[in-house]
Amino acid sequence: MLGCMVDLDDLMTAIEDGDRDLAVELTLAAISAGSTPEAILDAMTAAMDEVGDRFQANLIFVPEMLVSARAMREAMVQLEPILVKAGIRPEARAVIGTVRGDLHDIGKNLVAMMWRGARIEVIDLGVNVTAEQFVAAVQAHKPDLIGLSALLTTTLPSMRAIVEALRRTDLGGAQIIVGGAPVNQEFATSIGADAFAQDAGAAVVVARGLLGLSGAMSGAPDLPASGAGA
Amino acid sequence: MTMTGRERVLAAINHEEPDRVPIVIGASNATGLKAGPYRGLKQLLGVTSEDRYIYDWPELGTILPDEAVLERLHADVRGIFDSFPAATLARNVARPAHSPFIDDWGSGQVEVGDGTWYPGVHPMAEATTIEAIERYPWPDMDDPSRVADVRAAAARLAADNQYAILATPWLLFPFERAFAMQGLETFLMNLALEPEFAEALLWKIAERCKALMGHFLDALADDVDMIKIGDDLGTEQSLLMSPAMYRRILKPIHADYIAFIKARTKAKVFFHTDGDVFDLLDDLVEIGVDILNPVQSGSGKLGNLAEVKRRYGSRLAFCGAIDTQHVLPNGTPAEVRAEVRRAIATLGPGGGYLLSAVHTVMNEVPAENLLAMVDAALEFGRYP
Repeated sequence: MLGCMVDLDDLMTAIEDGDRDLAVELTLAAISAGSTPEAILDAMTAAMDEVGDRFQANLIFVPEMLVSARAMREAMVQLEPILVKAGIRPEARAVIGTVRGDLHDIGKNLVAMMWRGARIEVIDLGVNVTAEQFVAAVQAHKPDLIGLSALLTTTLPSMRAIVEALRRTDLGGAQIIVGGAPVNQEFATSIGADAFAQDAGAAVVVARGLLGLSGAMSGAPDLPASGAGA
Repeated sequence: MTMTGRERVLAAINHEEPDRVPIVIGASNATGLKAGPYRGLKQLLGVTSEDRYIYDWPELGTILPDEAVLERLHADVRGIFDSFPAATLARNVARPAHSPFIDDWGSGQVEVGDGTWYPGVHPMAEATTIEAIERYPWPDMDDPSRVADVRAAAARLAADNQYAILATPWLLFPFERAFAMQGLETFLMNLALEPEFAEALLWKIAERCKALMGHFLDALADDVDMIKIGDDLGTEQSLLMSPAMYRRILKPIHADYIAFIKARTKAKVFFHTDGDVFDLLDDLVEIGVDILNPVQSGSGKLGNLAEVKRRYGSRLAFCGAIDTQHVLPNGTPAEVRAEVRRAIATLGPGGGYLLSAVHTVMNEVPAENLLAMVDAALEFGRYP
């Protein structure tokens, strides 16, 4: 590898395949071979876009998605100091949590992983999050997005109450996305959320739509449009 | 001619039309009732008996309903359950209030305020090796206190001969037990990253499941109509794993487990699996599943009940299908009636349908809606 240009397509493939060790190795190799941090980040984002598309198209399932997200996360650990040095910031910031009364976190975790893969900084408030905690986090972190998750039908009133509490505070333009098993577009609209996302793949598409982001920057290969929920 | 509940259920699960669509409420966790609607029913019916819980397990929160309530609900099935080992029960009764409930496998539930408990103790969360599986102190399934009450309870129901008998040992479900041991996300990740470990863990769990199931079936003798096992395989839109991964790893385990059961009883295999499992129905039929539960009708392709019935109606009976995410908790009694009518019209023809809520009737469901479900089932469920 030394002295050669690193093929960022290989890095993409490593992330798509969830090969953590290879993804880290290729990231380090790309850095030392002089690839720009933007180009490496683009490759990672494009890989996670592909993962989201495959998930929405039922080509991969939760285990593969978890493993890809882990490979991305660990490769990102290598890239982060260089991004910071180059002054490259995430494109947006989100606060996310599972609403009060509900402890189910896998859907919320998947959305957080996919948002991170789409260059959105994610502050994860965990599970059983109260309206007060959401409001405090919004004031502290000034996010662009607020993500609310629920699995239990029982906790839909809690989701409504949290949205109401958020609407009573200054959101600074932050937009609210809701999702989870019992949530649908009709419910999302009825409680005054800005958007509904059906699953973790859709959450990226919806977030980008709200934020006016286009996805991976130029230089990354075109992605198949299969299954995109837009 | 009016049938007994047992005759009605046996006809339906043998794909014949009984006098009316059978009703299943209260006979297991997944067809059970939480305390909210149950207390509402007791009040409406003037029943004053104390609340009891299946598996003597208040933290699970699923009610062992009073017979008077079951009669008003026209419930055609009664449940048989195993018990936690006496030592496990005694330890949990004696433990400090609000501390985690730890079961006989070492996995457990933590309280998250106001009496709600949630799986939160995963004793094998860090395990990734075969050695870790071999080292783990697996539960002793030969403890006689586990099945001490089974023989008499089943024999009593069989002698009464009024209600069909559905028997469920607690969570002898290999995949879900692996979630309990490792945590859902960790185990799903291990399926992809450490498939040999994940598979070995599932086989080890299945071996323990079969050990207890063997004792349980011995105790039941012939006094049982349906044995409930399962594993949640679906999500709202799809599957928790690819069909290929299911077929490679879990299906052989389920096949072996069902063969073990069918070698020991004539009872039908009642398989509980949440979510949209439409793409696995051929597999489940192939390995011997007789009754599918809960037919989560709000999820993905399984929501097309007509297609499910058309393709699988001659090979699978269905138990469930009444929506618990929207209609039962939030609908009006009229909407509940419409939901029942739709499910019966679609799944009922030719028999093969047991009417039940999709999973446990949760706390927020009004008792009135539950009664509306039952009354609609009586009204629309008559066979000519």
